[in-house]
Amino acid sequence: MTKNEKFELVERFLIENQNAHYRIAYSYMKNKENALDIVQDSILKALKSIDSLDEVKYMKTWFYRILVNTSIDFIRKHQRMTVMDGEILDGYLPKSEDEQSDMDLLDALDALTPNEKSLIVLRFFEDLKIEEVATVLGENVNTAKTKLYRTLKKLRLEIGEGI
Amino acid sequence: MKQINKFKKEYEDIEIPSELDQVVKQSIQRAKASQKKHNPVKRWSLGVAAAAALFIGSINASPAFANSLANIPVLGSIVEVFTIETLTMDRETYQANLKTPAISGLEDEELQASLNEKYIEENKELFKQFKEEVADMEEVDAGHLGIDTGYEVKTDTEQLLSIARYKVNTVGSSSTTMKYDTIDKQNNVLVTLPSLFKDDSYIEVISSYLTKEMKQQMADDENISYFAFDGSDLDFQAIQADQNFYITSDHKLVISFDKYEVAPGYMGIVTFEIPSDILSDVLVGDTYIR
Repeated sequence: MTKNEKFELVERFLIENQNAHYRIAYSYMKNKENALDIVQDSILKALKSIDSLDEVKYMKTWFYRILVNTSIDFIRKHQRMTVMDGEILDGYLPKSEDEQSDMDLLDALDALTPNEKSLIVLRFFEDLKIEEVATVLGENVNTAKTKLYRTLKKLRLEIGEGI
Repeated sequence: MKQINKFKKEYEDIEIPSELDQVVKQSIQRAKASQKKHNPVKRWSLGVAAAAALFIGSINASPAFANSLANIPVLGSIVEVFTIETLTMDRETYQANLKTPAISGLEDEELQASLNEKYIEENKELFKQFKEEVADMEEVDAGHLGIDTGYEVKTDTEQLLSIARYKVNTVGSSSTTMKYDTIDKQNNVLVTLPSLFKDDSYIEVISSYLTKEMKQQMADDENISYFAFDGSDLDFQAIQADQNFYITSDHKLVISFDKYEVAPGYMGIVTFEIPSDILSDVLVGDTYIR
């Protein structure tokens, strides 16, 4: 495959999946303007470093990795993050199951570190396989699994079927 | 419904803004364009914004003298432009870097003093505004702000001095504006755009040239775009009587538009060199432009 063909495939992938990419960016940014900026920056980065994509079948994880890293970099640079320890966090989280229905998505994601947020968004909302999530985050599969269990516990979420 | 499914539903309901498609397509075009060629002005303004984003440290607002940054000695000319004052703020989320130019060596000291005063006042005012904005932001404990100003000597010949001053505002994305001053060193006058022409017919002459040129550029290169209604008629109608301009060392008139003035943000600041022959009928003389 020539570089041009590869470029065209990635281009089509970016246009066809723009809504998914926007939602991922939005789940980090929580506002439209910054989410659009992240999508834009990620596309530029991706297309400039298209040589780093070895095989086209890894296109999705390759681009998600750029998208997630761009989002996390942005948060690091621009926002003062408050890291909560477990005890304080407990105060924010619902105590029993019937209270859970009041917690909305962005509030829940807010309680997580960027890495934990990525795990939840990619695995459950974007329906990536746990192996793919691990690739995007540059972790090995077992680490990703362990962290995901821990995150679910932190959110007191039940997911029914296994990870 | 399980909590996770409720979340997933909420996630899927995140509203997709109508601009997204445009943003995605423009970014792809821009990536393509940067593979082929580089627009120096665009890269340079991006560089400035990137540099502004890199600063970290603590507050530092002491005005400092910096000289010899832009000493450009030209044979037979002792007029110099240098940085007289730098105002900075370096904090994690708030950065300011304001460089004030000053001119020395002009025969007409009054003109020189009035220009230098204007430059100093402008940056002082900008810095004051910036500090107020930062104070407002701090109250709500959120956000990041950046401002960057500086200058570039566009032309320095025995006769002419053109200085371009840029201002980059960063709030999420950046906006860039340019201002130019062109000075006739021999006659000690500040050259304005209307003063170059016999009457105001130049507005029409230049505007119709630019309309044609913008359409031509878009037809020739799909990476170039200017604001247009429904993709056909250009948004651009006419230049301002005092449109930004400078004169090159080979006596050509260059018309400049700020970012977002006539084109989408990815085009950056756009400039057009106007062919002198279309201007010859409306020019006062050929001293500056020929």
